[in-house]
Amino acid sequence: MNIVGSGAAKPLSLRGLAKSYATADGRNIEALLPVDLDIAPGEFLVVVGPSGCGKSTLLNILAGLAAPSQGEARVGDVLVRGPDIDRGMVFQDYALFPWLNVVGNVEFGLERKGVPRRDRREIAMRYLAMVGLAEFAEKRPRELSGGMKQRVAIARTFATEPSIIFMDEPFGALDALTRRHLQHQLLRIWQQHRKTVVFITHSVVEAIYLADRIVLMTARPGRIKSVIRIELPHPRDPTSDEFRLIERQVYSDLDEELAKSFHMEGHDSAGPAAMP
Amino acid sequence: MIDSFASAGDKPSWVVVFRSATRLMPYLYAAVGVIAVWWAVVLILKPHMSLLPSPLLTAQTFVQLVKSGELPTDAAYSVSRVVVAWLLSAIVAVPLGFAMGRWPKFERVIDPVVELFRPISPLAWIPLAILWFGIDEGGKIFVIFIGTFFPILLNTVAGAKNIDPVLIRAGRILGCASDASLFRKVVLPAALPQVIVGLRVSFGTGWAAIIAAELVAARSGLGYLISNGMEVLRSDYVLVGMVTIGVVGVLFDAVFRWVDSRYNWMAE
Repeated sequence: MNIVGSGAAKPLSLRGLAKSYATADGRNIEALLPVDLDIAPGEFLVVVGPSGCGKSTLLNILAGLAAPSQGEARVGDVLVRGPDIDRGMVFQDYALFPWLNVVGNVEFGLERKGVPRRDRREIAMRYLAMVGLAEFAEKRPRELSGGMKQRVAIARTFATEPSIIFMDEPFGALDALTRRHLQHQLLRIWQQHRKTVVFITHSVVEAIYLADRIVLMTARPGRIKSVIRIELPHPRDPTSDEFRLIERQVYSDLDEELAKSFHMEGHDSAGPAAMP
Repeated sequence: MIDSFASAGDKPSWVVVFRSATRLMPYLYAAVGVIAVWWAVVLILKPHMSLLPSPLLTAQTFVQLVKSGELPTDAAYSVSRVVVAWLLSAIVAVPLGFAMGRWPKFERVIDPVVELFRPISPLAWIPLAILWFGIDEGGKIFVIFIGTFFPILLNTVAGAKNIDPVLIRAGRILGCASDASLFRKVVLPAALPQVIVGLRVSFGTGWAAIIAAELVAARSGLGYLISNGMEVLRSDYVLVGMVTIGVVGVLFDAVFRWVDSRYNWMAE
């Protein structure tokens, strides 16, 4: 297995990482205020926040798809400067290559890493089996359901043995049942492989179900509101009292912020009394 | 890369034969209908043979021209002119189309030039082609080059432009570090179906334009067969030429459809 590279989980550190845009009329928009954060090797970190809080911006910078305006991010000792196959990413809309079949998609990154053809197929099939899709290897992405596509994307990402994996609302487009199933499957895979994971969602329940630590972000400008460590053992029961308690705490933090942003937009500033 | 595309070879051969036979049926109906009307006109109006010969006489002329080798030679001339010009056109238009589709700044420079020349029919270039190249092969190839260039270019630009940006990001994340590898592994396969559409459409426009070019300036080819037929008052030559143009056009389109079904990941 070492042929694919070490793949050992690495820490991620953010120092004063910030992003601002200049608009067409010359104004400066702060998308993300300076962020300092340390993520431990093998940690499952979930970023939660309302839309427009800069969480996708943050993830794109960490993945090397966008450059920060200030500050830096390091994976291990290495400064993030551009995309690297050592940092995997799972996209909300799957991003499977439609001209390749399922196993071809999983082999894509392996081929780029220079894994010999024979080993590629074997490794790809192993990771497809891991997500329970070995018998769909020869299918086209368009023949699969949304949930299956995302499982292929997860297999494709883990197959390259990255030391850190970014997930950008990966289950956001799926129905509730599929979503539950995939959350469970992802946790199982993460427990086996122990990658560092940075996962973005706007579902509070999903965040508490998955995370070692939750980072709550606020909108306009995006910044970290609070960091919550979740100590509950896996598998977590969303109906348990402990789970509900954390949920209430997260919502009260979020409501405060939502009320502010609604107020800014001229809406009634009273937040919902009880969630969900 | 070829092996990763859909293979059509997993159906039993008799199914394929049956399907292609079924697909030919509309063409047969059309042919029978046209011949019936043609014959009815000849029987009722009794036009002079030099104006409209009967289908039977035309068929006899057809067989005679095939036997003498005249028709196959003329068809081969026309086809080879179109193929050469179309290939030259593809060699220029496909790379240019990708460059325009992927580099907006480059497109902004080139696009006005393209838009200026695009509305000019390839037929409008025939006089200049004769002045510049005489009635040699060069002139015909030049006209067809113009006629095939824009469909290839515009389809390639559209294909290269409309690639889902998330696929580009996925390619970069999955190890396409250089623009060259990203092009080879993501941009090219993603745009290929649209490029094939351009190649197919342009072959059709090229085939239509070659006849016009040969009508005006040639000593060979199907267009020459037709214009010569007119000059010697042999409308059966004209009709044989026209029928051959139609049949050859349909055959080439069938080849392109087959290529398309084989290499187009968007095809069902």
